[in-house]
Amino acid sequence: MLKYLLVVLSEDATSFCHYETGRRSKSGRGLIALDHLRAAVIFALKHNLKVNALYPARRMPKAYEAALEEVEHVKIAPFPAGRRHPGAILVVEGGAFPAGAELRTLRDANVILRLRRADLPRLAVLVGRLLPRTTRINLVLADLESFGPEDLAAYGRELEKLRRRCLAIAPGRPRPEINVLTDRLALDRMNNCEAGLTHLTVAPDGRLYLCPAFYGAGAAESLGEIRNEIAVPNRHLLELRYAPICRVCDAFQCRRCIHLNRRLTLEVNTPSFQQCRAAHAEREASRLCLNALRERDGAAAGQVEIPEVPYDDPFDVVLKAKTTIAEFQKMRGSS
Amino acid sequence: MAAPKPKSDRVRIETDRSWESGRSKSVTFVVTEDCQLRCRYCYMVGKNKAARLGFDVARKAIDYLLTERELVAEGSVVWDFIGGEPFLEVGLIDRICDYFKLRAYELSHPWFESYRFSFSTNGLLYGDERVQSFIAKNAAHLSVQITLDGTRAKHDLQRVYPDGRGSYDDVVRNLPRWLEQFPKSSTKVTISSDDIPYIKESVLHLWGLGIREININGVFEDVWKPGDDERFEDQLVSLADEIIARKLYETHSCSFFSKSIGRPYFDNTNWCGAGRMLAIDHLGNFYPCVRFLGFSLQNREALTVGNIADGLDRNRLRPFLSLDMVTQSPAECVACDVATGCAWCQGANYDFASTRTIFQRSVALCKMHKARVRANNYFWNRLGRELGRDLRAEPGDGEGPGPC
Repeated sequence: MLKYLLVVLSEDATSFCHYETGRRSKSGRGLIALDHLRAAVIFALKHNLKVNALYPARRMPKAYEAALEEVEHVKIAPFPAGRRHPGAILVVEGGAFPAGAELRTLRDANVILRLRRADLPRLAVLVGRLLPRTTRINLVLADLESFGPEDLAAYGRELEKLRRRCLAIAPGRPRPEINVLTDRLALDRMNNCEAGLTHLTVAPDGRLYLCPAFYGAGAAESLGEIRNEIAVPNRHLLELRYAPICRVCDAFQCRRCIHLNRRLTLEVNTPSFQQCRAAHAEREASRLCLNALRERDGAAAGQVEIPEVPYDDPFDVVLKAKTTIAEFQKMRGSS
Repeated sequence: MAAPKPKSDRVRIETDRSWESGRSKSVTFVVTEDCQLRCRYCYMVGKNKAARLGFDVARKAIDYLLTERELVAEGSVVWDFIGGEPFLEVGLIDRICDYFKLRAYELSHPWFESYRFSFSTNGLLYGDERVQSFIAKNAAHLSVQITLDGTRAKHDLQRVYPDGRGSYDDVVRNLPRWLEQFPKSSTKVTISSDDIPYIKESVLHLWGLGIREININGVFEDVWKPGDDERFEDQLVSLADEIIARKLYETHSCSFFSKSIGRPYFDNTNWCGAGRMLAIDHLGNFYPCVRFLGFSLQNREALTVGNIADGLDRNRLRPFLSLDMVTQSPAECVACDVATGCAWCQGANYDFASTRTIFQRSVALCKMHKARVRANNYFWNRLGRELGRDLRAEPGDGEGPGPC
């Protein structure tokens, strides 16, 4: 069931995930037509959807802001535009990390930190700088598709540093939320992106896509115009129960990015080894974090269990454990 | 002289498939996309003379596969040579085989002790001196299957030269030598809509020619017309009567009749080997099987899983290796009471799916499968009565369909 609608306001609107902005337009600046934006807002109102609006760094025309005010929405904006959008979720790029003075403008912020492979050695340091000024940090490995086994191992080491830094925060203080470290502590089932299932995207061309990354992949990926009856071809393949690797996995915090899946494995329901191993590095860091918190805080650390597992990629589990129909139906019933 | 008794209640239903079991790697070299024939039902819709495998590409592929022991860990190998028509390139094939043997020996690779060269051929060049020389040289490691589709009428309906002439006579003249050299060989018969009236007489004809084992498949493309299933069933029932009346079940086999088909699914595994096997084209690209090459596809672009320069693409192999039956099947197939033995082809599924995916199973053969199951039940029930034994399958006897 759809719950929200992403609206990409312009070709140069910030990316907040595993894709690069401005892929479709030569100028990279085209705004969504105002009529299209209004159509998106009306669609959201009719279908009880919240809107997540992706902003560019530059100022948007007043008519656009007015159109968005008609519907409940969240702004996602690049860090440099933060002052214009109080309360927005801000996207910080690791390659253009704000200086200390700029960071001081943040207070109890909700931040998306996009890091690239080249930023990996600074991961714990950069997250650490944001921690005092944020309530939540969503870390995104922007170019995860280019990660090799050594990069994934380095990611695990940085998460370990980050875990130690977080645990150093004194008891009684609010625990900072970091998606890749603390989300799993509270999850007992998958909590993935769910593009195409719980949300769709209206792109600058006014058409619907599974997510902004699919817009960047080309017009052929479009689901068509905004309309009441939206057909997502083979929609069931987006569901967890139709993802053979993911449905046996308990790295519940995994983004399970269907676009990354499509790019790397050619199938929306099959994750790459990069996605699985990154998610399991996060799961392992979360497990160690939970153990340490239980030692320190006792039952207050929560009831969720994260057992130790002998693999770093659930694909290995799928290869070894073929299921019978009865087992599969049981699994499907519980998913 | 009395006919020999069958070895088990299963009568004779399967060929020796030990070389196709999970322990061996099947690697297909597509040596040419050309063929002397233009078979009307052929899935290779883009035949051409330009795409020919070069020795250097084959050499690099062998070098890679012999050294990639993590992703290619099987203890045995079947080198499959396919086209088009593989024997058009017998000189190249001979060099490839020699190179493999030499390198495997030099590397002390386990495949040196456990390999096979396999051919599916239209049989037209079987008597050629170079082909015979190759066969003599590699006889101990060779499987050759000549395709003969049945009677002259059936064969020449489909298996024609570019000018429309049938190829039956040119193939049949090579059969005696083939059967002498490979007496246990089977042939593979393909059925399309127009072939249905010829099924019974074709099976009997092929047995009469001395081919004791026949594997038959319907094409995976959606060519079937209303009423085909009933005509198909009638043919199989009539064939069953003939087999029982003449006690042919004691000495001959035909894949239409198998005790293990027509049961509900028990196992959730994907029976198709795409991705576990590997096909290699003239550009050095790797494919999950030959059905994923461009010249085999009508609607989609080719799907590669690596190449000789970069090796196997672990990510692109993951969907094939994690694919199971339920995930790709419509709910009605999962719940089907007569599901086992119902065939699908991963490449055809990919070609005809509504999105670019291997996870959407084609159901074009559904009615034909159900017709086959009815005829199959008829056969085993009648045979059981004839022999005074209950030959019906037990629950859980289900298994995958025959070779594609």
